[in-house]
Amino acid sequence: MNIIEIKNLSHRFANGTLGLENINLTIREGTFVIIAGQNGSGKTTLLKHLNGLLLPTAGTIHLAGRQVSENLAKARQMVGMVFQDADSQIVGETVYDDVAFGPENLCLDKNEVKRRVSKSLKIVGLVDFEDQKPHLLSGGEKRRLAIGGILAMEPNVLVFDEPFSSLDYPGVKQVLKQIISLHRSGHTILVAAHDLEKVIAHADRLVIMKDGKVVKDGMPSQLLGNLEAFGIREPCASRLGMEVPSWLS
Amino acid sequence: MAELSAFNFRPGSSVLHGLDVRFKLLFLVLISLTSLKAYPAALSILTLMLVAALLHAQGSLKSILKAFRYVFVLLAFIFFARALSTPGSAVIEFKAVSMTREGFYEGVLVCWRLVIVVLTGLAFVSTTRPSEIKAAVEWLLNPFPFIPSKRIATMMSLVVRFIPVIFDQARETADAQRARGVDNRKNPVYRLKKLGIPLMRRTFERADKLAVAMEARCYSENRTDPGLYARLRDWAALFVVICLCLFIVVW
Repeated sequence: MNIIEIKNLSHRFANGTLGLENINLTIREGTFVIIAGQNGSGKTTLLKHLNGLLLPTAGTIHLAGRQVSENLAKARQMVGMVFQDADSQIVGETVYDDVAFGPENLCLDKNEVKRRVSKSLKIVGLVDFEDQKPHLLSGGEKRRLAIGGILAMEPNVLVFDEPFSSLDYPGVKQVLKQIISLHRSGHTILVAAHDLEKVIAHADRLVIMKDGKVVKDGMPSQLLGNLEAFGIREPCASRLGMEVPSWLS
Repeated sequence: MAELSAFNFRPGSSVLHGLDVRFKLLFLVLISLTSLKAYPAALSILTLMLVAALLHAQGSLKSILKAFRYVFVLLAFIFFARALSTPGSAVIEFKAVSMTREGFYEGVLVCWRLVIVVLTGLAFVSTTRPSEIKAAVEWLLNPFPFIPSKRIATMMSLVVRFIPVIFDQARETADAQRARGVDNRKNPVYRLKKLGIPLMRRTFERADKLAVAMEARCYSENRTDPGLYARLRDWAALFVVICLCLFIVVW
């Protein structure tokens, strides 16, 4: 089943710049898709359309058969988005409060909020940090907290915008492990990235964007040789003619 | 990393942790007001009770003293201001400046009363989750028809959350400017302008990002209400605190 269907999507910003141009994309439920492209290629703009943070100038987006603009709250619950800057995404004064923020916005019963917070903190491995202040967490922990806050809303699709930016090696491994485990548990994963080295080994599909358009779409193994033409660095192993290994192996 | 203050919530299971936040807020007001009327004997009782409550809640005298390290500086200023400005019989004299017996007593009394207020505040903050304080603010503002209580409570919690982040940002910006020789510029207005403008720009950018992130998590003012429940132990504690305050005021 296609969980995301994008037809003829275009977006023009208020200043007249064309952000996206005639995007057509369908994403099957449970797949792991990487959206790659250099800075300004339209990756984040595309992702923000999936939960209605931006609305199309032309075209439509359907989530599980329902148009996003018909019910924005439902779209935002279905598509959880983890932003590039975790610090700006965390709103709670404590780890617990931050994870509870989403479920409270969904007007859930207090016990249900508690259940979801406990479950999410367990999944992201932050149970012992419940009363910790978010600004005292490490970069990797903050990113995991941002993921936890999204998971508490029980989304079907998880969207990550540059999830490894400004993380050290252990932080990258923590977040990558989390993303893979969420994919294994049945979530549809979309990762926007310009550096594919860290994540490409786990993806089912690679979509390349340039100047607001989808220019390539296919299996990662088929597209790796063409990356440099679109301003994306080809992973080292691929340059040497080898299979790209996982960062977790 | 920036720490807002030593006055932070510390998780625990003490009696104070278990009390309803609205009652604790009321105790804070009652005890603070009573301390203004109290004299050394009553202040001793209040100090002992508060320190015992804090030890029960926080578990260490060291952490209480640590929280007080900046307050002591303020208290020293207040003490000397009182001691040197109150007329009376001089104890220490140096040229035109003299410390009087009455001034010394007044200084100690004022500082002691302030210590009681700060101790009560510390007991409140260290045993109450920030989300509970937010809920209490929302509850207190609810009866006022034209005040958006939920919005104010959310803004308040965002301020608490973001002050350390802004401090971090300010320090980072100041370090970056020092690395480029801003120390050589002696004009404070120039330096303030060079620090303030980028800091404000980055703070507003962060606020924009925050608004988008909140929207992505379905933020609305119609949210799950915080649960505040008054139980028998809260009323019992209120009775004890009122009796104590009356005893001190009458005494």
